[in-house]
Amino acid sequence: MIERELTFRIMRYNPDEPEKKPHLQEFHLTEEPGMSLFVVLNKLREEQDPTLRFDFVCRASICGSCGMLVNGRPTLACKTLTKDLPDVTTLLPLPVFKLLGDLSVDTGVWFRDMSFRTESWVHTDETFDPDAPEKRMDNAVALEIYEAERCIECGCCIGGCATANIKPDFIGAAGVNRVARFMVDPRDKRTEREYFEVVGNEDGVFGCIGLMACDDNCPVGVPLRDQLAYVRRKMASAGWRYQKV
Amino acid sequence: MKLQKALSYSPRADFIVEVIQMVSGLLLVLFLWTHMLFVASILIGSNAFNGLSLFMEKNYLLPAAIVFLVLVGGAHIGAVIRRIPSRWAEQKIVWKHAKLIHHADTWSWLFQSVTGAAILALAIIHIAVVTYGGIDVIYSSGRIKHGFLVFYAVLLLLAEYHASVGLYRIFVKWGWVKRHKLHWVLGVISVLTVGIGATVLWIFFTMGVHA
Amino acid sequence: MSRYDSFVTDVLVIGAGLAGERAAVEAATQGLNVILLSLVPPRRSHSSAAQGGMQAALGNSAMGKGDSPDVHFADTVKGSDWGCDQDVARLFVETAPIAVREMAHWGVPWTRVTKDEHVYDGKVIHEDPENAGLITARNFGGTAKWRTCYTSDGAGHTLLYTLDSMVLRLGITVHDRVEALSLIHDSERCYGAVARCLRTGELRAYTAKTTVIATGGYGRLYGASTNAIINEGSGLSLALDTGVVPLGNMEAVQFHPTGLVPSWILITEGARGDGGYLLDKNLHRFMPDYEPAKKELASRDVVSRRIMQHIRAGYGVESPYGDHVWLDIRHLGAEHINTNLREIATICKNFRGIDPVKDLIPVRPTQHYGMGGVRTNIDGQAYGLKNLFALGEAACWDLHGFNRLGGNSLAETVVAGKIIGEQIAKFTAEASLDVKSSLVEEHLHRQMDRVTRLRESRDGTEYVYDLRREMEQILSHHVGIFRSEDSLQDAVNQLSDLHERAQRLGLRGGGHGGDPELDAALRLPGMIRVAYCIAKGALARKESRGSHFREDFPHRDDANWLNRTLAYWPEGADEPELRYEPVKITESPPGDRGYGEATRGPDSAKP
Ligand SMILES: Cc1cc2nc3c(=O)[nH]c(=O)nc-3n(C[C@H](O)[C@H](O)[C@H](O)COP(=O)(O)OP(=O)(O)OC[C@H]3O[C@@H](n4cnc5c(N)ncnc54)[C@H](O)[C@@H]3O)c2cc1C
Ligand code: FES
Repeated sequence: MIERELTFRIMRYNPDEPEKKPHLQEFHLTEEPGMSLFVVLNKLREEQDPTLRFDFVCRASICGSCGMLVNGRPTLACKTLTKDLPDVTTLLPLPVFKLLGDLSVDTGVWFRDMSFRTESWVHTDETFDPDAPEKRMDNAVALEIYEAERCIECGCCIGGCATANIKPDFIGAAGVNRVARFMVDPRDKRTEREYFEVVGNEDGVFGCIGLMACDDNCPVGVPLRDQLAYVRRKMASAGWRYQKV
Repeated sequence: MKLQKALSYSPRADFIVEVIQMVSGLLLVLFLWTHMLFVASILIGSNAFNGLSLFMEKNYLLPAAIVFLVLVGGAHIGAVIRRIPSRWAEQKIVWKHAKLIHHADTWSWLFQSVTGAAILALAIIHIAVVTYGGIDVIYSSGRIKHGFLVFYAVLLLLAEYHASVGLYRIFVKWGWVKRHKLHWVLGVISVLTVGIGATVLWIFFTMGVHA
Repeated sequence: MSRYDSFVTDVLVIGAGLAGERAAVEAATQGLNVILLSLVPPRRSHSSAAQGGMQAALGNSAMGKGDSPDVHFADTVKGSDWGCDQDVARLFVETAPIAVREMAHWGVPWTRVTKDEHVYDGKVIHEDPENAGLITARNFGGTAKWRTCYTSDGAGHTLLYTLDSMVLRLGITVHDRVEALSLIHDSERCYGAVARCLRTGELRAYTAKTTVIATGGYGRLYGASTNAIINEGSGLSLALDTGVVPLGNMEAVQFHPTGLVPSWILITEGARGDGGYLLDKNLHRFMPDYEPAKKELASRDVVSRRIMQHIRAGYGVESPYGDHVWLDIRHLGAEHINTNLREIATICKNFRGIDPVKDLIPVRPTQHYGMGGVRTNIDGQAYGLKNLFALGEAACWDLHGFNRLGGNSLAETVVAGKIIGEQIAKFTAEASLDVKSSLVEEHLHRQMDRVTRLRESRDGTEYVYDLRREMEQILSHHVGIFRSEDSLQDAVNQLSDLHERAQRLGLRGGGHGGDPELDAALRLPGMIRVAYCIAKGALARKESRGSHFREDFPHRDDANWLNRTLAYWPEGADEPELRYEPVKITESPPGDRGYGEATRGPDSAKP
């Protein structure tokens, strides 16, 4: 195999030095077999520029820390292998989220805020009885909940969404999917009307204009289009029946 | 819920606007297709075309169509305008964004607002011309001969593009059909519509030449 | 004194993984103010990576019939090679079923018993239709019954997301991207922690009636580890650096049999639990030769050693990354692999470019879990310092002794969180917060001073990443699966040298704001001290027990070593000091595990 010389154009920005405009810095390194962007970025930091900032945690596409734009496409850096990249690759941080430095963005705060706004917990009045066996649940329902719960909060769907890029309050596919997760859960006692008040509006599911960049870019393959459509239909029927009290 | 919303807000407002956008869009698509079918009567012959237009005039279908267009089109514009980034800064963001992420559907949405605006302008001209000029094989072919060929070709393409992308978007959003299949079906319909339109234009054009 | 932010609370929980969040939920439910600190947003904590599941003796599935806390207890003690605290193990097994159900109540979509029949290892399994809809379980190594509750391929993920939803619901304060650097203490009592904001680099003081360490594992001390890169044992060094709190059993390090070559990402035990085989270079299934009873599903320490033994005997598959063996799950079928083991399929595709439905998976034993940690009593109170608690992987509660069973760690986090959380609440309700501000400032100053010295390279110009790599290599080469006197002595000598060099770190970049090099440089000396405890403990322990295997002492020696290592790092010392305490045996006297070398002999099988 001929060794490739790879070029990475990486966005540099340090919030401590706001006078320096964000700019692209070029780095070069030699490709190795099985190399991922996780390996690349760590090598660059350790061998070329120790101030380079980026986020990885699990390095196994499980935790959702490393979303960034790889040649424009929002994806997880840890699961991007260099063998799938051209000789020159541009790395940019995800848009929408607060920029913490270079490729590092504050997805955590965004998702926490979204979780609060969608009240992402099981709403129930039942109390837990430690002596009773668990409530039964059909396995198909459990799987359906898990299908939505699989979201790893990486933010790729948000960074790639045109609406989220201009509407700061839009909860995006991640938010709508989150609501879907609780809607299908029989343990959550919220009524359709209560859900409608959370997502039946422009900041929720009716803000979606159907570009489906989220569905195209979700790195873990959550069926976002189906989830968006599911919530939209539910909310339409809730909207239809909604009576002002 | 915030106070300002609690006081002034109809919780269903966003939902209703969304429905208006969809329904008006669907009606306009329906109108477009009917219109194309009517126009296609020229394929059967000049008599068919003239007969149909006479029938419409007699039954006040022409003014009805105009009223329909103004109302439904107006509603559609009213509903979609909230989607279009209104501030210059936002416009810059979305265009940059589309360039950045290389995503076909995102581009098609940007074209959607551009084509929408263009259709609005062209359609007004078209309606004005038709209203004053009347619908008749001779008039129509004459118009097309004298410089309107390009105008109609552009309007046809824009309208069909806008309609099929809009339809696609509706189906995708509500999750009624798989995206892949949808591409295919809408592709076929578009080709048919544009095909019919182009043939009609060509017939008028050649008629105009021979007239 | 420069300005700094300070926060006051009842309970300060350092670490927002499963253990920390579960304890925080318990304390907050009882009306206390809680602040959670985490290096990363809580949901990115390493708990989310656990795919296999958690053990609890529910006995709902057909293959779990007849299970009970007693059986779970026996498995756990046996698995620990009689190194665990049996009071803790008893308390744990009794609480685990409740903890699982409670998590179900809060929202975990556990996989349920279905009426369909399924095939396992050639046998058809019929589930009891009476039990349909109850929480089911899968098979894990070292257990007599199928006991591991799971959610498809995302047990840790759903547990953590659900617990975090409770944290949201209770409105518990979470400060993410914050790293605790040192405990504020006066050698008697703990008053909170000095921390650094990883966004801005600013130092902060957190004072609390009760401080809790729940910082997870230290796998990254070994270069090749299944752990997340934030698992650097910083919580352990927080405790160790007080000089008075000991780390327990640090030499007990678990190697998981199936790390994916060469990224060392974990291929979950579920793969073998669901019926996967291990094959050698001749595609021969070799585990039955060594372990006829449990085959691929003996405990992890045993399977890992058997693989290495087989590789040493010349049956490994050669590769540029060292010899490995194959994991074969092809016979489980596409449907099973793409639902119940979907994560494995994804990992194989993404990180190795192979499809386990058709291809063999290259695997090799890889560092995975630390049984050792901050030594606590059964209530979770740390030894040596009042008002300090620890739990989760960071603690040595001592449920796992010298080898943890797969699925017992997730279970430990929520069970300990529940039990210890309650103790924390009780304790804190009666505690007061009277801390001298001079003490806080003294501890803050010490950290500020470190930062300045590093920035100005005042003590030297050693490069953090060079030293770090050396540390990883020392541990990997000398303190791995097979250990021996000379090699361990080497490790100790080299670590001693490295520790000294780590006092002379200097930064190459500016070290301003949330600079990653500064993060690493602040962390490294503590990491090396923890590594030192591991190596020294391993050198001293002249027997083989659980995951600690000495080639020069291949047998368990209950007469001399039925005890627990306690490693202290007295203030100003340049090496750890080892002490020992007896292991509490209540119900189950040391005996034969029924698998492993004691049963079959270390060089038993000749394949
Ligand atoms: C790949 C993998 C798979 C696994 N699968 C299973 C399984 O199937 N079943 C099972 O039982 N076990 C499994 N385990 C083990 C189990 O996941 C862990 O032991 C367990 O999740 C640890 O939980 P924890 O809460 O103690 O720590 P973690 O979840 O690691 O959380 C630690 C927390 O501490 C924070 N932190 C650390 N240091 C600091 C500091 N200095 N300041 C502030 N915050 C800090 C971190 O940000 C994090 O929030 C697996 C482990 C791995 C590596
Ligand atoms: S680092 Fe966890 S998803 Fe990439």
